[in-house]
Amino acid sequence: MKRLIVLILVLALVIPTGSILVTAQGDDPFEGMTPEELFPTAIDDQERQSAMEALLAANLPDARDRFEGQTLTIGVLASGTRGVISGAPYFWRNAFEAVTGAKLEIIEIPFEQMLTTLTVDFSTNQNTYDAIINASWFYGDYISNDWIIPIDDYIGAEGYPMWEPEKVAAPLQQLLKWGDSWYGVVNDGDTQMFYYRRDILEDPEWQAAYEEETGEPMPVPPQTWQQMLKVAQFFNGKDWNGDGDPDDGVSLHLKVGGQGFFHYMALSAPFSITPAEGGDPTAVTKYDNIYWFDPDDMTPVINSPGHVAALEFLQQLAATGSPSQFGWELGEAWDNFLNGNAVMLYSWGDVGSLAQDPNASTIKGKLGGSRILCSEDWYDRETGEFVHNAENSNCVGNLVGASWHGVISSASDVPDLAYYFLAMQAAPPILFWNVVYGWTGVDPSSTPHLFPPAGEASVDDYVAAGYDAGDVESYITGYGDNLFTFPTSQTYLRIPGTPEYWNILDIRLAEAMIGELSAQEALDEVASEWEDITDDIGRDYLLPIYQESIGYAPSE
Amino acid sequence: MTIKNRAGLWFVIPGIIWVLCFTLFPLLYSLALSFTDKRMGRRNRPGEWIGVQNYSDIFADNRVSEVLEMTLFVIIGGVLVTIVLGTFIAWLFNHDIPGLRAFRAILTLPIFAAPIALGQLGMILFNEQSGPVNHLITGLGGEPVYWLTEPWAARFAVLIVDAWQWTPFVFIIVLAAMQSIPDELYEAARLDTANAWTLFRRITLPLIAPALGTITMLRMVETFKILDIPYTLTGGGPGVSTQTYSYYIYLTGLRNFDMGYASALAYLLVIVAIIITSIFFWRVRARYEVQ
Repeated sequence: MKRLIVLILVLALVIPTGSILVTAQGDDPFEGMTPEELFPTAIDDQERQSAMEALLAANLPDARDRFEGQTLTIGVLASGTRGVISGAPYFWRNAFEAVTGAKLEIIEIPFEQMLTTLTVDFSTNQNTYDAIINASWFYGDYISNDWIIPIDDYIGAEGYPMWEPEKVAAPLQQLLKWGDSWYGVVNDGDTQMFYYRRDILEDPEWQAAYEEETGEPMPVPPQTWQQMLKVAQFFNGKDWNGDGDPDDGVSLHLKVGGQGFFHYMALSAPFSITPAEGGDPTAVTKYDNIYWFDPDDMTPVINSPGHVAALEFLQQLAATGSPSQFGWELGEAWDNFLNGNAVMLYSWGDVGSLAQDPNASTIKGKLGGSRILCSEDWYDRETGEFVHNAENSNCVGNLVGASWHGVISSASDVPDLAYYFLAMQAAPPILFWNVVYGWTGVDPSSTPHLFPPAGEASVDDYVAAGYDAGDVESYITGYGDNLFTFPTSQTYLRIPGTPEYWNILDIRLAEAMIGELSAQEALDEVASEWEDITDDIGRDYLLPIYQESIGYAPSE
Repeated sequence: MTIKNRAGLWFVIPGIIWVLCFTLFPLLYSLALSFTDKRMGRRNRPGEWIGVQNYSDIFADNRVSEVLEMTLFVIIGGVLVTIVLGTFIAWLFNHDIPGLRAFRAILTLPIFAAPIALGQLGMILFNEQSGPVNHLITGLGGEPVYWLTEPWAARFAVLIVDAWQWTPFVFIIVLAAMQSIPDELYEAARLDTANAWTLFRRITLPLIAPALGTITMLRMVETFKILDIPYTLTGGGPGVSTQTYSYYIYLTGLRNFDMGYASALAYLLVIVAIIITSIFFWRVRARYEVQ
């Protein structure tokens, strides 16, 4: 009897344990798959193994029973299997298909054609895409047409990968939401920051030469646009890289259609935006934190004296770079800096990670980064006067860029699967991997990607992925400062017709930069054409959308 | 209707359906659109009838006058350059030259290239820092040209790429016209003059004139539609200096989604093209009916 009881006890212990083991092996969606099979586009073992570790750490719920046999179609920026933004979905595709049993179809859409393609697709009810890795300026059209769905019910729901909305930087959270509802799943954070050549600006010989020529010590790094201009003027035309040719002070891209207008936005913000007085500097009032339109009647403020001063400043700054930059697109300006021909540049976070790629850069170990610059001069629309204050300059953060992230189509047959995919990309270990491997084009967005005190990452995390310690310390610190240290951040334009408004801005800015129009003429032209667009789309229709999108409450 | 005719009808029906679906319907639909305020993706602009508002707006649109400048430049310049160059090359090839066929085949290659590809190729050739065109210019002691940065240089870059594509077309047609001229005419003329220029002016040119007229008409209509080359080569820039009328239609319709206004712009282009071709055919008819 005793033996029988012992046997029963043993069996009672062994059978469930055994069955758990068997079940666990059978339930492992990656069982039998090698890292080579899961990540066929990885370029080396280090990349493959680190991706494997991230995948396992993400602890993705096995969803094969729910999604087996389904097909998810996503639209994404066209840049190839290892290109920016499109590279990550390709990279994680096999893992996604293994864990869901579904099939992932990736449709690449060229940047220039993206909104056209999506608008035609939605408007004509073709509904090709279940999810779109989209740019933030599409929201006005999406929301006003109910083309995408809110995801509040999915966030934190069981059976989906977990991500951390509360750890997304606050200005970026605004871009992923409309009103109080979440629509986007975090992916890429696009803030523009300031980059410089650490080895040159910190060189005592160059510092002495600067002081001798200008009579004042070199600001390292510059804190304001005005300081940057002086430094750029000093270095422009000098052979500071020792290649025998004169080099550039700055590297800009000013070709129409080349995304240069985003950079004008980042530069002009502290010339034209005033933070609100009182306890909350981010409060949007009739005069404060206004960049695009008067929030009471949609009158453009793009030709306000602050904007004009900013454009005139940009014209001066452009004179400290290559004449060819008037025909450059984004990549060409980056290449010029990454190949060591320009001493400074301001742009998105991609530059920091690209600088670490020996195939794209000669400046690894020489990179410095800081938050975007402030302005010593700015225009106060309320008083109608310019303010000059070199000691307490005006500082405004920005998220002017695409901030590429996923949204779900309201016409999708597989919204659950779509959310699973987007949440998987945002799962902390996978998102961090995407951030660290710069070729993905996924820039830091959340506190786990940034350094303390605001963030949680360490220099070692990045060094392990091949970063130079000095570069990454400077770059990620500057990036984090951009998101967390400014009193206020530039509002984003998210109304129907945004691409149309920006297209006009892009064209007229380019004309001002090549000297066909003065800064005032160009921005007056923009304002006039914006008025036409507003009237054409419908001022009464746009006004409440604009007010809601920037968080403005009109006074009764 | 006979059985034979009825059978023929079945063969014609697919063609009729094709024309109805893909020519007539879009034509009529876009005509109807041009009288509405239709904007794709705008709930407040579903497409209400606004009469000739879109057409009258064209004459008050600053952008139209801006793009017309480039359009006229490329029409006049493009037609002139391709005809002069194509005719000259055809005249050269109308002589006994060793390897003539091989040269002729090579010369016609650009016709078969997509304009988008030629635009991309143009970007490489006219790259201001590393492009072979500027290397050649500086190698010959000149100053580099800012092909994609200065407005007029960019316009000429578009013109050059357009001419590069279309000169072979002119060359082929004119060469065929030249080769159809009887040798006897030249032989008789040579008894009076040995001057090649006189032979060309007095014999060749009058006899290839009908072909040149047709080419001029085709090239004008074709150049009016030019979009792909400036789109890829310059992106319409710098500023708007290389935006053409067709480019503006594209931006209005498929970037700004103002389908009503874009349709009106397109119909104005159609009207201008019809006027050009009508004048041409009227001139041809008048000339040949008199003769």
